[in-house]
Amino acid sequence: MFKRYHIPIKVVPGRAPPVPKFVITRAANCINCGKCEKACIFGVHKRSEQDSRKMADPINHLCKNCFRCIADCPQRALTMAAGEEYRSLGRGVWTSLRLATMWSESETGKIPVFGAGYRGMFAGPNYDGMWTDMSEIVRPTRDGIHGREVISTSVDIGRKVLSLEFDQSNALKSDVPPLIELPVPVVLDVTRLRSSNENIIIGCARAADNLGSLLFVHPEKVPSEVMAQAGSHIVPVYPVGTELDSIEIPLSTRMIEIEAGSSWKDDVKNFDKWFPGVVLALRIKAGKGVEDTVLDMVRSKVAVAHVDYDDQGSEEGQGDTRHAMESLRAIHKTMVTKGIRDKIAVIAGGGIAAAEHVPKTIISGADAVVLESAIEVALECRNCVTCSLGSCPVSITGAAPDWVEGRVTNLVGAWRDQMLEVLGAMGIREVRRLRGEVGRAIYFDDLERDLLAALEGGAKNG
Amino acid sequence: MARKADKYADQFPEAALAPAERLQFMNRFTVARASTCISCGTCASLCPYGVHKRIEGHAKILPPDDRGCIGPSCEVNYFFCVANCPTNSLSVKQSDNYLALGDPRWSAEMILATWAQAETGEPLPLDHPGNVGRSGGGFDKLYFKLPEKAQGFDPEKMSTAIELNRRREGTRISIPIPVYGGGMSFGSVSVSTMLSRMKAAKMWRTFVSTGEGGYPDALIPYKAHVITQIATGLFGVREETIQRALILEFKYAQGAKPGLGGHLLHEKNTPEVARMREAVPYTSLFSPFPFHSVYSVEDHKKHLDWARAINPKALLSVKVSTPNDVEMVSVGSYYAGAHIVHLDGGYGGTGAAPEIAKKNIAMPIEYAIHKVHSFLINEGIRDQVTLVASGGLRTALDVAKAIALGADGAVIGTSDLVAIGCVRCGNCESGRGCPRGIATTDPELQAIIDSDWGSMRVYNMYKAWRLQWLDLLNRLGMTDISELRGRTDLLRHADHPAKEVGK
Repeated sequence: MFKRYHIPIKVVPGRAPPVPKFVITRAANCINCGKCEKACIFGVHKRSEQDSRKMADPINHLCKNCFRCIADCPQRALTMAAGEEYRSLGRGVWTSLRLATMWSESETGKIPVFGAGYRGMFAGPNYDGMWTDMSEIVRPTRDGIHGREVISTSVDIGRKVLSLEFDQSNALKSDVPPLIELPVPVVLDVTRLRSSNENIIIGCARAADNLGSLLFVHPEKVPSEVMAQAGSHIVPVYPVGTELDSIEIPLSTRMIEIEAGSSWKDDVKNFDKWFPGVVLALRIKAGKGVEDTVLDMVRSKVAVAHVDYDDQGSEEGQGDTRHAMESLRAIHKTMVTKGIRDKIAVIAGGGIAAAEHVPKTIISGADAVVLESAIEVALECRNCVTCSLGSCPVSITGAAPDWVEGRVTNLVGAWRDQMLEVLGAMGIREVRRLRGEVGRAIYFDDLERDLLAALEGGAKNG
Repeated sequence: MARKADKYADQFPEAALAPAERLQFMNRFTVARASTCISCGTCASLCPYGVHKRIEGHAKILPPDDRGCIGPSCEVNYFFCVANCPTNSLSVKQSDNYLALGDPRWSAEMILATWAQAETGEPLPLDHPGNVGRSGGGFDKLYFKLPEKAQGFDPEKMSTAIELNRRREGTRISIPIPVYGGGMSFGSVSVSTMLSRMKAAKMWRTFVSTGEGGYPDALIPYKAHVITQIATGLFGVREETIQRALILEFKYAQGAKPGLGGHLLHEKNTPEVARMREAVPYTSLFSPFPFHSVYSVEDHKKHLDWARAINPKALLSVKVSTPNDVEMVSVGSYYAGAHIVHLDGGYGGTGAAPEIAKKNIAMPIEYAIHKVHSFLINEGIRDQVTLVASGGLRTALDVAKAIALGADGAVIGTSDLVAIGCVRCGNCESGRGCPRGIATTDPELQAIIDSDWGSMRVYNMYKAWRLQWLDLLNRLGMTDISELRGRTDLLRHADHPAKEVGK
């Protein structure tokens, strides 16, 4: 029987004190009249519990920037300022707004819905200069957001044969390689995290189990009971130089990943013989000519190209590095031109910092998206990089596995729902069809070029 | 039924002052007085803006009331308090409140300027900072190439009127300003807010759309200025509300959430709202997307024919969002019988929408207007379509830029709300709704807005806008706003200054 895919979300409150977006200061000339308490409908201003003649300190994180208390204060004793801590959060694509949004998504598992129109910058570099298309009237659309029509978010990870062959007796002659169907095009990866520990790995493994997805992790760090429980959701990642014939994997393992060294072609030569029925993923750093490397991987029968970008989503290296948006597009296009796109699955990680980055990465040409730092942000990481100095303002490593599991599950749940919104708006009923659909994306550069042509083209009064 | 608006709208009521105590809180600058102050009173005797005061007989001077302060630029004046303080106790800097107001799309300056226009009806100079946001693209990067100030300016002989029906047949309706009010449903906003807009529309002889939450009876006295919206949820759409209207608006999509239905979160769905929408109180209402009866242009025509059968005289407007094929959608709408094609761009207002949809789905309006305009010209039907734009048009100059890009007019929503006191805090969607009493259904909060006061504010804002349009037309040597349509040659892009040389 058909079973609808469902991500079990539940509210998982944060452990760290919230970072207020606005900070209210009460000046010394406050006369404790309590008008601010009446004015505020969000409960920022309360009388002091110790001494009800006095106002307590404002509860800043509840402030929503409405200025009512400021306007109503007869003494003009209140000031609202944009929160210093909030404003200094994040770097590059990891903006303070995105961090705060992910924290709330990880807490509630819900789609962020707010009033008033868009409040940000007009456009920006890379994914910020990309809009997804939608369809109305002249094309069938989908109403999947509230479950009224089914939209599939399943993707196939692995190597496909392009056609099947049968012998005289109608028996299948083709050798069909293993294929993993993920119900959501998102996998988890803790190998590059700055602050992964056993609890985080256990929590992420359980989250991958909840999601029906995969967790990429160095196998020696996985406790054996977790391996036994969620083994089919764990992808052991072996570093460069591992002798493949020396490794042992549990029977439940569906995929093995090796990090590509200079001799990767020789390393993977006997993979199918040694690990029948297991999907082989090769992990490479994106950089100049990455599309040719992926082409070589198809020739060497690698099933999954796991492409690493840096935490801003760019290729690594000096000088002319491309963002994943272009780099993935080049990979996808190279494969399509050769007619072999389905012979390899491409998964891409790095710089995935918001729900919209999932569909945008897939439109650019990936089959699935790898969450890395987003996992840490789900655990309230403030992206402050002091972890290298051994300190963490939210003591992320103190998180219990249950909490980690809930937060990560919620984040992916919220992101999947938002992907359904995007797919529904586009009238696309499965995410497989989104891959490489750059024709259904709208790019800032193209629009701006047309606009400039219009400005130069002169008047058309009509 | 034909309604001929005065081409030269010179007999509109004067703007009447509509101030609000609660909108007077903003101080652009903070004046700090250190404890070294000896309360000598020099500052109080100097400041002409009333920042420094001493109550007669008091030894100490009052804390500065810096709302009137004009900031460090005051230093050129002899009365600059900071320079004159004998104990160097005073300092002036930009205030935290000011920096906490607004966002890149609606800058603090733009919000304050809109409040000022709504209060007085006085226009902004065309180069006022409140006319441009700081979002770094679109309207915020487009400027008019303005010639030197022209002489001789006779507003009596200039027109800002537009025709809403440019087809050869059907009811003729023109409106004296090139804007009408966009749909904001009962439920997303209160009846007082709706009434504020409707009364202002009556004064301007233009229109306001009901939005998709039905047609509250309180609006019936203004029925000649109400557009009945028919949206995918069909909430509160009845035969009589369709027959009552001069214009019917089919909402296929909304710019802030293109491809998604309307959202009304459960807390705002109070019993009155639910009754109007024939829904269960306190449930979240998500209208479907799309119209499940429309999957092609042929279906779309049937849809319009159905409305025409109920109300043959009404003009039909089709509100669509801005996908890649927006020009095909527009042409299809024209052939299906629409009089008005209404493009709603991605950065428009909303009572509640998923954040992901606001930025990431469908293109900004700036691009779509010109795309559709040129396509309609090439199809040879531009002169029979009224093209209106909305979704991120915030000021008089945004409207003018939209017209120069190819629209006939514009549809305004958020600016109306800012006029009646919205601070753009963005909390319209849930809980008791708007803390300022605008986008709320909470009985206590909605009492903050008095619809007579509100309508005067909205009226004033358009009065100020109209004067800005006249100023602009005069500078450009035009007398009718329809001359501006499609004049992309009059615009320049701030990031590409070299490009204007070729002109």
